[in-house]
Amino acid sequence: MELEQIKAIVAMMKDNDLSEFSMEQDGLKLRIKRGPDEFQQTVTLPPAAPAQLTAAPVSSQASAPAPAAPAPMPVAAADAKHIESPMVGTFYRSASPDAPPYVELGQEVDVETVVCIIEAMKVMNEIKAEVKGVITEVMAENAKPVEFGQKLFAVRVK
Amino acid sequence: MFDKILIANRGEIAVRIIRACKELSIRTLAVYSKADADSLHVQLADEAICIGDAPSKDSYLKIDRIISAAEVGDVEAIHPGYGFLSENAHFAEVCENCNIKFIGPSSAAIRAMGDKVAARETMRKAGVAIVPGSDGPVENEQDALKIARKIGYPVIVKAAGGGGGRGMRVAHNDPSLVKGYHTARAEAERAFSNAAVYIEKYIENPRHIEFQILADRKGRTLHLGERDCSLQRRHQKLLEESPSPALTTDLRKKMGKAAIKAAEAVDYVNAGTIEFLLDATGEFYFIEMNTRIQVEHPVTEEVTGIDIVKEQIRIAAGEELGYDQKDIQFQKCAVECRINAEDPFNNFQSSPGRIEFLHVPGGHGVRVDTHVYAGYVIPPHYDSMIAKLICYGRDRRMALDRMARALDEFIIRGIKTTIPLHKLVLKDPNFRRGRYSTNFVERLLAASQPLVPPKGEEPIPAHAVARE
Repeated sequence: MELEQIKAIVAMMKDNDLSEFSMEQDGLKLRIKRGPDEFQQTVTLPPAAPAQLTAAPVSSQASAPAPAAPAPMPVAAADAKHIESPMVGTFYRSASPDAPPYVELGQEVDVETVVCIIEAMKVMNEIKAEVKGVITEVMAENAKPVEFGQKLFAVRVK
Repeated sequence: MFDKILIANRGEIAVRIIRACKELSIRTLAVYSKADADSLHVQLADEAICIGDAPSKDSYLKIDRIISAAEVGDVEAIHPGYGFLSENAHFAEVCENCNIKFIGPSSAAIRAMGDKVAARETMRKAGVAIVPGSDGPVENEQDALKIARKIGYPVIVKAAGGGGGRGMRVAHNDPSLVKGYHTARAEAERAFSNAAVYIEKYIENPRHIEFQILADRKGRTLHLGERDCSLQRRHQKLLEESPSPALTTDLRKKMGKAAIKAAEAVDYVNAGTIEFLLDATGEFYFIEMNTRIQVEHPVTEEVTGIDIVKEQIRIAAGEELGYDQKDIQFQKCAVECRINAEDPFNNFQSSPGRIEFLHVPGGHGVRVDTHVYAGYVIPPHYDSMIAKLICYGRDRRMALDRMARALDEFIIRGIKTTIPLHKLVLKDPNFRRGRYSTNFVERLLAASQPLVPPKGEEPIPAHAVARE
């Protein structure tokens, strides 16, 4: 079978709105399917996860412009650790809207280094790295709510 | 009416509250521990926030994180469900201070009824009959002996700081009282961080009758009838029914009046339950008040047609009940079986794990309140109740026949459940006649030793089990 013949079959299927064509001739089996694949309806699992929390933060720092999120640095999986949120609250990268962020990408941190603030119930809690290494990614968004266990930073451990 | 509510709970009651909110067009925020990420209440809520690790003390009991979640989630009210922080007066106070409406009574009412000794005194002053007992906490062994001899054995030592069967010891004589006094104190200290105990006359084989109260903020207090919760094992309720087979119309009126008097004595608002003990002579005594929605509330909902959780939300939002005591109709008879993930053939050892197959009963007069689904993994960190099966009908016989029928249809594979025990109870002729009291389950279990799985409970073939 020649390519031109196959093109002709495809054109014919399109013109006549056919979705499937198959033929067998001289040991050659040809099957052409048009359009998206049918998808199977599987056994219903528990319904989809609820919406990401998008509530407005409580504090007045809400109007602070969010720093542009730089691209994360590549890091080998084995060395990667995460700094996770120990509480529920609003994440801030700096002590106040005018102050510089506590940490930047590529910055070295120690166990006692303050990496961010999480504001909860009007209290600004300083969050320590509790790990020694280099910040490779900022994973939470400034002035946005975070939940317990949420990843705040990726760290390449020394 | 509220725009958004945070549900500070998990499992079936969290699902129950979310359902009421949805029907009232209220948006819902669920909080959950890491172990509950796949839980149904998290799936059903509009939003969800993780508040901690699996253990309750690291998550569902973390007041600061829950309040924080309420603030980032911008909710107007918190429904505490039952257990956890629902009867924590301090939590209710924190909510009040943060301008978040706590869906329940005031922190003052919780405090007044939470201290069981103070509650007894309040009731005594209000003229509600209480079980004869000590005037306050019993400070030492000598006092315990004095009081016990005055009341007359048998007596029961009870924790002032909480219930649920913990910190309780029955004593029939001086030596067992001394032993029980110290053991109860130690247990109370562990369970409630409060070793204070009091002593009451122990009423033998009483019936446990509780009255559902609803009170709005405009001063209207009603009762929605009683629930007979006498079927218990180690002070944990197994089955509840309404109306109680032991109550005459007259007795119901008397006890209902007493329940309302008790609630009014602490200016109670919202839903609550007054617990009484009923002895064989028809005398009843106040034992405690539960200042929250209760596990067995569906029984009353099916009897009266009133949605108690919705009424809780409406009352908290400042709405009037809008009806009187005379409007409360007892239209049906209802029974509830608590299905636990426990092995009744192996001393009720808990059975967490994955539910491989689930078939929930249905049909006329059947209601199932549950958070489980096929494929769900029951975590080991929380209480073992996985479903409530409620059946109702025109009369008690119909409700019980339905319950027996529904239990036969209820298939849960992959874990052990107490369904076989409930089937035994439903077959018992004394239970059918309404003749039972709080020692019934123990006696039934003793008589059925060793409990064998009924015939026909073969494992279903592998190809019939739903796969992901």
